[in-house]
Amino acid sequence: MSNLDNINLPATSNESGTLHPINQTKDYLLNLLADFGFKEVHGPEIETEEFNFDMLNIKKSHPARQMHDTFYAEGKKNVLRTHTSPVQIRSMLESKPPIAFTSAGKVYRKDDDATHLPMFHQVEGIYVDENVTFANLKDLMHQILHELFGDNVEIRFRPSYFPFTEPSAEVDILSESGKWLEILGCGVVNPVVLKNCNIDSNKYSGLAFGLGVERIAMLKYGVNDIREFYKSNLDFLAQFK
Amino acid sequence: MKINYQDLINFVSEKPSKEDLSQKLFQLGHEHEINGDIFDMELTPNRGDCLSLIGLARDLAVFFGVSNSIDLFNDDIESLEINFENLSPNDCPKISFLEIEIEDSKVEYKPYLENYFNTVGAGKANIFTDISNYISYELGQPTHCFDRESIKAKIIFENRVCNTTFKTLLGSEVLLKDRNCVFTSNDEIISLAGVMGGASTACSSNTKKVLVECAYFNPESIIGKSTKYNLTSDAAHKFERGVDIASQEMVLRRFAKVVQDHAKIKSIRFKSFSEAYNQDLNIPIDVNKINKILGMSLKNDEYLRHLKGLGFHFADNKIKVPSYRHDIETNNDLAEEIARVIGYNNIKSIPINLKSVANNYGDKVAKLESLLVNNGFSEVINFPFSSNNDKGSINIDNPLDSNRNNFRISLKDSLIENLLYNERRQKDSIKIFEISDIYTKDKVIKQQKKLGLIISGRLGHNYNDFSKKLDQKYLNNLLNKNNDEDIFEITEILRSSLNTKKKDKIFYVEIPIEDIPMSFFSKLSTQQRSIDFINYKPISEYPSSARDFSFVIEDVQVVHEIIDMLDNISDKIIKDSFLFDYYKDDKRKIIKLGYRFIFQSHLKTLSDSEINKKVNEILCPILEIDGVSIPGM
Repeated sequence: MSNLDNINLPATSNESGTLHPINQTKDYLLNLLADFGFKEVHGPEIETEEFNFDMLNIKKSHPARQMHDTFYAEGKKNVLRTHTSPVQIRSMLESKPPIAFTSAGKVYRKDDDATHLPMFHQVEGIYVDENVTFANLKDLMHQILHELFGDNVEIRFRPSYFPFTEPSAEVDILSESGKWLEILGCGVVNPVVLKNCNIDSNKYSGLAFGLGVERIAMLKYGVNDIREFYKSNLDFLAQFK
Repeated sequence: MKINYQDLINFVSEKPSKEDLSQKLFQLGHEHEINGDIFDMELTPNRGDCLSLIGLARDLAVFFGVSNSIDLFNDDIESLEINFENLSPNDCPKISFLEIEIEDSKVEYKPYLENYFNTVGAGKANIFTDISNYISYELGQPTHCFDRESIKAKIIFENRVCNTTFKTLLGSEVLLKDRNCVFTSNDEIISLAGVMGGASTACSSNTKKVLVECAYFNPESIIGKSTKYNLTSDAAHKFERGVDIASQEMVLRRFAKVVQDHAKIKSIRFKSFSEAYNQDLNIPIDVNKINKILGMSLKNDEYLRHLKGLGFHFADNKIKVPSYRHDIETNNDLAEEIARVIGYNNIKSIPINLKSVANNYGDKVAKLESLLVNNGFSEVINFPFSSNNDKGSINIDNPLDSNRNNFRISLKDSLIENLLYNERRQKDSIKIFEISDIYTKDKVIKQQKKLGLIISGRLGHNYNDFSKKLDQKYLNNLLNKNNDEDIFEITEILRSSLNTKKKDKIFYVEIPIEDIPMSFFSKLSTQQRSIDFINYKPISEYPSSARDFSFVIEDVQVVHEIIDMLDNISDKIIKDSFLFDYYKDDKRKIIKLGYRFIFQSHLKTLSDSEINKKVNEILCPILEIDGVSIPGM
């Protein structure tokens, strides 16, 4: 029989945990946009109607302002921000062009079904300088989407409508199954928004874009059900090491 | 909005195929799905002018020859004597009435009217209401039909405070509250303006004399009413987006023409009431501004040609915006028109030059995340809604339900819920954390970023840690050991307050990030992260089942071979496996191994016999090795 002292103990490894896949995706997008020159700015999730809507040219008659779409708080004094754009408004008020900001984080919409959650995450970017054009926007969106989905991905721009951009576009990519998938919304910053932020809209123009983090995470990881992200199931989370 | 392809191409001289039409509609920004001949349009809310056949045809006119000739009632129409008063012209700057009497209300519908009901899948009501719905589909202008004989007194349009029950023409009763734009007669509300008419004055199949109301309501006066009163209304959908204020006479002449196609008209009268409103919007022609927005070098004549194709006119070096285009106010709006016509995908990209900036991976949150993840913690994200109206809670005015009517003031309840959820799924070693902004109110709303973490169960899934428990000491070692004084307050959460039969102790930490001193962070390193977008595999919702095996190794030289063999076993029903016990018996000169397999299927709850069969497959080759046995097997 061998001497037991000569037998090494089996190795033990520490089991590492995981960052949440939505935060991993959000950080990845912020990192990507930092490489493109966009600096992250921060702001509150509980906003005023002024910053969430008025400053962004979302008029009182816009459907988004109705009680069935937006969470209001504290006797209608506040809203749970419906997008991260008010963060950009706050930052623009404190800055002078040229500026290139990203804002990222939780946003809220009064929705709760198989494909919509009352809380989700956005990453948005805005760039304001002299002579920023729709052609610049197209180039930047192409670059971002090629970074995200590869150089060969087919990209389609479609006219859309957002009160804070004009012209506005939605951008799709062609999936492997031949279906167009909506990826992001973008546009030339509406001069009204620049004026609201005390920026001379005759001299400066801007481009802006927004990505849904859950949407990108679902596509990149192949998660089909958005609700999986928020069950806090350790078996689910463990896969994203 | 459903549109029949055959109806739409009646306006288009080239008769494009469905594919061609679809491609052009997409280029113009009009998303849709096609089912047979039906185009189910999803229009952006700024394009209320396209919510009709004629509206889409007007937009398509920039690509195709589009005929604008709609058959109208062209005879002279007598003036209508009507006792009407508009008490709120700001809400309704223009309104017209058409009174028609027909000889017989029992009529056979012409194919174009009959087909409309097949297209939209709607049921028929009576000749006048049916024509009203058809006109809305064709021209985009809602009209409302009153049974003329049911209204004897003066009709008033007003914006009044209501607190009364209103019975709609579809029979539902709604309690009107607060301010509403309404039509009244004899102080009775006969129509919720722009949304739905009332039952008492509605047309029936016997109605021979109709009063057709055709109005422009200010969108802000109508918005939200149909949702508030839970009334599905195509009219409200259109009025909320803005209709064409200049089209009322044309619309009512078309209404009369369709009536004439179906019945003999005994009498017809018309009257329009109009307040001063700003009808014309003119924008100076300046192609340079358009080029500056788009990054193009478009020539002036090209610019004007595109706009003309979309129905714009020009005078005195100005662009006259059509009355139906409420979305056009500025050069940016015009730039979008040009981009749509050229095609967004045909505009050349031009790069911008921005210098890259540093990312924020070195910050406090990133350091905390690295510390915790490296020590086996998993991050969770919870919804912030809570049923607890704690001191300082921010109240949601319109919550999804009464369990979610406050903003949480602590991460604790969410993390306890996460812990119990995972315990119910046979997790026996749980370490989770959340970092989130927490909002509370005092005089003002306060925002504070907090870390919450919770632990319970086994220290780990290896032979050193398996029989030890996650406890206060563990957290102290992780968080407080290297600091002069304890920064992180560790509390035990008593199981007695929770709905659980488990016995393992639960420990919890919650701390505002700003309360953690810099000295703590200075001892932590920053890790550059890279993301690996793994190919996610759906997790099983079926229960798992554990099997433990105790191996006795008499030939200790093979112990590592055995462990390697066990570690390398994989199977679609083996979810996890690990060495949980390693014991050297110096006296007997043997080594004992404890090894656990956890079985789980994606398809079903596994039976004992299925698991036993798999166990035999796993164990056979190992037990064939000399000097390896499982006592009792």
